Order: sequence, then C-alpha cells, then structure tokens
Amino acid sequence: MSDNISDFESAVGELETIVKNLESGELSLEESLQLFERGVQLSRFCHGRLEDAERRIELLTDRGDRTAAPNALMPATPSAASTNDDEL
Amino acid sequence: MTSSPSLPFGDPSTRRKTVRAKSVTVSELTTQIRSLLESEIAEVWVEGEIANSRLWKTGHLYFTLRDGQAQLKGVMFRSARRYLRFTPEDGLRIVARGRVTVYEPKGEYQIVCEHMQPHGQGALQVAFDQLKRRLENEGLFAAERKRALPLLPRQIGIATSLDGAALRDILQVLARRHPTAHLVIRPTRVQGEGAATQIAQAVSQLSELDGVDVVIVGRGGGAIEDLWAFNEESVARAIAAATVPIISAVGHEIDITISDLVADVRAPTPSAAAEIVVAGRQELITRVDRLAARLTGCARATLQRHRTRVLEMERRPGLAGWPARLALRGRRTAELTHALTRLMRATIITRERRLRTTRLGLETHEPGRRLHAAHTRLVRVHERLRRSLDRQREGLRAKLADATGRLEALSPLGVLARGYAVCWHEDGNGRTIVRNADAVALGDDLSITLHRGRLTAAVTRKE
Repeated sequence: MSDNISDFESAVGELETIVKNLESGELSLEESLQLFERGVQLSRFCHGRLEDAERRIELLTDRGDRTAAPNALMPATPSAASTNDDEL
Repeated sequence: MTSSPSLPFGDPSTRRKTVRAKSVTVSELTTQIRSLLESEIAEVWVEGEIANSRLWKTGHLYFTLRDGQAQLKGVMFRSARRYLRFTPEDGLRIVARGRVTVYEPKGEYQIVCEHMQPHGQGALQVAFDQLKRRLENEGLFAAERKRALPLLPRQIGIATSLDGAALRDILQVLARRHPTAHLVIRPTRVQGEGAATQIAQAVSQLSELDGVDVVIVGRGGGAIEDLWAFNEESVARAIAAATVPIISAVGHEIDITISDLVADVRAPTPSAAAEIVVAGRQELITRVDRLAARLTGCARATLQRHRTRVLEMERRPGLAGWPARLALRGRRTAELTHALTRLMRATIITRERRLRTTRLGLETHEPGRRLHAAHTRLVRVHERLRRSLDRQREGLRAKLADATGRLEALSPLGVLARGYAVCWHEDGNGRTIVRNADAVALGDDLSITLHRGRLTAAVTRKE
C-alpha cells in the first residue's frame, strides 16, 4: 500500500497538507474519504518508520570491521528470569 | 697559589703584564670564554619575551629573549621543542630552562633551551588560545559550517572509551529514549599518549561508515590535562573534515574544548549528547501523533456533517418520501397532487414568461446607465417572485396535507379493515345502506360489503 510514499520527510509533509485540506471542510464526502484513506496510509507509514529498527549495538575495530558488542554493553532490560533464587 | 694563570683578564693586578707578555688566538680565547660560561652558569631559568622567532626546516627554533634593557639569543632544538604543547611565538612571555653556551663561529653566546613554559599562565591555556585563534581565523568555528542533525538517524556512531562514564551515560539515555537505536561504537583512548590520534581516526572512520548519519565524540569529566586530547589539532581537523554531523560531548558543562568549537553541535555532557541525538525522533513522533489525531477528528467531523445533512433532507416534507407515500393513498389524493404539481409548474412558467418579457422590455427600453438599477430591481422582483412562489407552494402543500388527512379519516376502508361491514339493500328506489332493521322484510336479499369482498345474504330473522 505504501509503494508511492518515497521517504519519511515527504510523507509527513503530505500528511500535513491532507489534514489542512480536510480541516478546511470544503470537500465533498467522496473527496474527504479518499484523502482520509491516504492520510491513514501515510500516518501508518510514518509510525512504521519511527519504530521499525530493532536495537543493535556494534563495535567498530580499528581495521574498520563491525562486530557485535559484548553483552556487558547492553543496558540491563527488566528480565522475567531473575526470581529463581527463592526456591527452598 | 696564584689564581687561574691561564685567564689573562682574570686579575686586574696582572692585566698589564700579561697583555704584554703573551697573546692568544681568537679561537683560543673563544674556547676559554665558552668553557668559563658553561662552567660558571651551567643550568639556568631565564625569563623574557620572545622576539624574532624562526622555526627552521630542521625543526630547530631560533629566537631572541628580551626584557626592557637587554636581549639574549636562544635556540631550542627539535628534540626538546617537540614536547612543547604551545607554540613559542613573538611577544609571548616565557620562562626558559637551559644552558648558556657560545656559538664559536659567530662569537655569540646564547641559551640552549631544554624546556620553556609561558610566564604567568599555563602552557595548556596558551596552547588552547593559540589553536583556537588559528582555527577561528580559518573559519572552522563559523556558524554556517554547522550542519543540521538528522531527524531520524539510521545509525549513531560513538567514539569514546569503552570503559568510561561517557559511554555508560549515553547507553543509559538511549535505552530509555530510543530503545531501538542502532549504535556503532568505535573504542578509543580518550587521554594520555596517542589518544588524540586515535580519536581523530575514530571520528573519520565512523563518519565514513555506511549507514552512520551522526557521530558522538567525547568523554566524561576530568582535569584539563585529561581532556587535553580534545584540544589537539588532529582531533579538530578530523571533526572538521567529517562527512556527517558531529556532536562533541567532552567533560562537564563548564569544559569547553576545541573539539566542541569545531563540532556541528556541542553537547554539555555525554548524556546530553544522547538526548540531542534522539530529540529529532521525539519531535517527529509527536508531530505524526498530532497529525493522526487531527486526521481522525476531521474524518469524524466530515461524516457527522454529511449524515446530519442527509437526515435533515429526509425529514423535510414533500421531498424524497412523498411519491412512495402518495402511491399508498387514494386516487383522489394522487389527482390532487397531480393538479398541485401542474398548477405549480404552470404558475412558474407563467411567472417566468412574464419575467422574461419584463426583462426583454427592460433591455430594449432602458439601455445604458439605468441598466444596473434595473438589474437590481429585477433581482429584487425575482426574489419576491421566488418568495411568493415559495409561499404558494407552502400553502398548497398544507392544503394537500390537510386533504390527505381528512381523506384518510373519512375513508370507510379504514373502518372495514377493523372488522365492520356495510349492509346494502336494493329495492325499487335504488340501493340504500341498511341502518334500521325495520327497513327490510324477512326474505329480502342484502348485499354486505366487507374489508375484502362482498356477500349476498337473505334476512331470516329480525329482532
């Protein structure tokens, strides 16, 4: 669905224009609905782009190679498996 | 027991005699002067202002030290000079440590400096000021060189020490503010020998790395000596040459380094650098959220508006609902409606024709300036006409509604539907409705109209 959205910046720009047009209230129902659908598509795209990466930390060696960072560098995340030591 | 017989000028009492007795060559004398100076003065600290400084291609520095009354030639060889952090420039007041010696080919005495430091201020401060001035003159701190940070960096480069507080702080902030960030860390020394070279290399490497859109370079707080690498020219040059925006975050808020001045953005602390690098994303999230909310609001409002309009039209009499309703009512009603419509149409046509004629007359008889006034009047007339038509239409419509209502109330069909029947009797006088049992005789034929259909019955009993 998002094949004709080129990049984030233009998506936000287009979304802004659409909202302004809709808010002007001078459109027919048909036009409004079309714009609304496009707006929803754009806002989904933007949210997707804002959230899609997953956390990654890499180290760069002095030779310029990327390697995965040691776990020590990953900030502690609340883990569920930390209450094991109360078994009797 | 006589003192220094080899020094002819040593003792005033023997001067006349020795000059006459023996002469020495220039070289001999110079050598004697030299050894005398070197043994008598040895190492000394001397204070003065640098003048005529000249750096030779060999790396040796030649200069004159002077105060108000005297001057002294000086040299600092490359081996000693390379440990200097500042540049000995003309006009700079210094304290130099060295040995006085004689340069025999020229017969000049001079001080050979082993070390020097600025007088009254730290060497680092002077070095900082000097480099700052130089880079400033090159335009490296200019506001128009500063690049904007990417709103949504794909990857964030970090050049700092792996076990420093800076990295820990940056990672903590990013974990909270942008948990899905993609980071590339290039570990470097951040103080001591070789740190500047490593930092400079890390900055250029990261900035050229595919996908990295912004680089944070820095370290946690420390003494000015500890932060010194970030005041080195090599680091400044690497930052200036970087192909992506650089955020410099060195020490605490109060520490300002050359690196901070050259960088595109100076963050007061490493934590602040992390906040800055994700600020754009936060801003975008807020913006998109607001737009999405407005979009939904618009859609709701638009739909509501159109729905209200449709409802209003449905409720209006004489419109969409009429034909269907009319079809259910009697023929008369239909005729009435027909007549009404015809009448309305006829009225409109007549009025229109009159209007046209009027306008035509107006145009033929009143050309020119009055046309405008006439037009206004025409509009007014037209408006009155329209209003009167509306009134007429309303009147007719009311009549129609009234007639329809009455028609329905009177209709016998309604009564029959509820189970009543009409009883007819036919005799010589015609067909009459039987309202009284005495009106018929036993054996008479009666005709009964029901809601559906008709019966013929005979009278078999009367009561």
